[in-house]
Amino acid sequence: MSPVGNENRVLSGLVEIGRGLATVMSHFGREPVTLEYPEVMPDLSTRFHGRLCLLTKSDSTDLCIGCKACARVCPCDDLIQIEMHRDENKKPVIDRFTIDIGRCIFCGNCTEVCPVDCIKMLSDFELADYSREALVLDKFDLNLPGEASDQWRVEHGLEKTVK
Amino acid sequence: MSDIQGITIERDIQSEDMVVNIGPQHPSTHGVLRLVTTLNGEVVKNMEPVVGYLHRSKEKMGENRTFFQYQPMIDRVEYLSAFYDHYVYCTALETLAGLDIPKRVQYIRMITMELNRISSHLLWFGTFLLDLGATSPFFYAFRDREKILKLFEDISGARMMYNYYRIGGLNADIPDGWIEDVRRVINELPKRFAEYEAIVNKNPIVMDRCIGIGIINTEDCLKYGVTGPALRACGVAQDLRKTNPYCSYDEVDFDVPTSTDGDVYARYQVRIQEMYESLRIVHQALDNLPGGEPADIRKLQAEYDAVATEIKEAKKRVIVAQKQETEPEPADVKKMEEEPPELDKDWRIQGKKKVNMVSFKPPVGECMSLVESPRGFLGCYLISDGSPKALRIKWRGASYSNLSILPSMMIGNLYPDLMAVFGSLDVILPEVDR
Repeated sequence: MSPVGNENRVLSGLVEIGRGLATVMSHFGREPVTLEYPEVMPDLSTRFHGRLCLLTKSDSTDLCIGCKACARVCPCDDLIQIEMHRDENKKPVIDRFTIDIGRCIFCGNCTEVCPVDCIKMLSDFELADYSREALVLDKFDLNLPGEASDQWRVEHGLEKTVK
Repeated sequence: MSDIQGITIERDIQSEDMVVNIGPQHPSTHGVLRLVTTLNGEVVKNMEPVVGYLHRSKEKMGENRTFFQYQPMIDRVEYLSAFYDHYVYCTALETLAGLDIPKRVQYIRMITMELNRISSHLLWFGTFLLDLGATSPFFYAFRDREKILKLFEDISGARMMYNYYRIGGLNADIPDGWIEDVRRVINELPKRFAEYEAIVNKNPIVMDRCIGIGIINTEDCLKYGVTGPALRACGVAQDLRKTNPYCSYDEVDFDVPTSTDGDVYARYQVRIQEMYESLRIVHQALDNLPGGEPADIRKLQAEYDAVATEIKEAKKRVIVAQKQETEPEPADVKKMEEEPPELDKDWRIQGKKKVNMVSFKPPVGECMSLVESPRGFLGCYLISDGSPKALRIKWRGASYSNLSILPSMMIGNLYPDLMAVFGSLDVILPEVDR
């Protein structure tokens, strides 16, 4: 390459690098877009796929009817385990309802098929724990109290009270 | 030649080849890819990609899960543009079952897919320049990608594993205010793209490292089955959205950006231009979205429901009157003959008959569907034996074919160009191994 060509190349290179740097520098004054997470919680959508929960009736009794539809559509084997029996009035009684949140992939299939809108997802994503056993949530952990369930239903546009 | 303890060792450093394992845990391979490279000095003499380190048997999983159970797994086949995986899977089953898809669903699918293309290209842009050694574009690209991911979170509930499309429709309608959010984001993006171009396009370092490097020609592309931006950078305007319009791509106006150089820089330019074209498509799709805002549809539906209830009650009263053998009200009789108004069928988010996902059984047959993903042709080949599980599911990932051309691009070239060339192909390893 001739010396003149080289000079031009250097000159245009400098100009272009200057233009790039000017763009980078223009970002100095702008507001940061990152959130300092533990102090500032992200604004999550109402459809967020978070921790699974069981909604209850307005008087905090079980809404689940033990149909096992959620267990059937779950892509992970044996993730949701349900044991139930029927009392003398043929009403379903849930003896055991466990979800191994450690193996859950948060796909939301179970929430879609639930016929009574019982198993749903919260926007809770802080699920770390010290042992694997602690990640197996039972009915006590999963059940949402009546008031919280009502609030959940209002936020997601469902009928507020369920009897 | 040297003489140590009477033994003559003949050693020619110039002609000795060295085998270097690049990967599987290499910071620039975007996943786990092993490249067994034979180097002579800095010149690559031979290269062999070894894949399979990320194999998760996604195809086999489809055979022992029902169609609905398999759906969340598809997101993981290619997680940077998961909407395409869902689309191609749903289309295969819809074609098999002969379902027709409402226009509103097609448009929402088109919007989400194009936004997904932008987000995927943005991630490519950031990581590609990171491979070249530039750090700032990575942060800018991720900042803008975050906005698109937020839109996806609003619509599907997840940032990357969407599980949103359903056979014959969608999981749920778009949320209220989503259209405005999309408009805000896509009006903002062209300014950002201009910023990227200002930093990168004419940068002498980028130009030196990209122009004339990793040149492929059309024949090689066709031989190896390379598709997508890599093929379009060779001058072939092959885009399934244009050549075989699926979804509603025949109703929107857009161009297929091409370049004739076939080098790394051409592939970069094609991808940047594609993002602008995607924005054009999203703009048009939002303007022509059948039904518009979900709130309007709900309002109309409520009005129609009220009319339908009136007719139903009139019918009941007439039946009661007939049972009691009295004359029914003339107004009721008149009302009974009315047809309840129905919502425009293009406005539904499920087909005419809602598919029961849990017990969905397609008819016996086989089907192949193809889609133009951000990386090229993404295909799903599906054989059904009439049961709720697929007999065979085969994924045709664009990355696998695109990766296979890497050795022929690299042999005879310098090793330092490897990451520029490999990065420009936009290979994503989960899609290679599945």
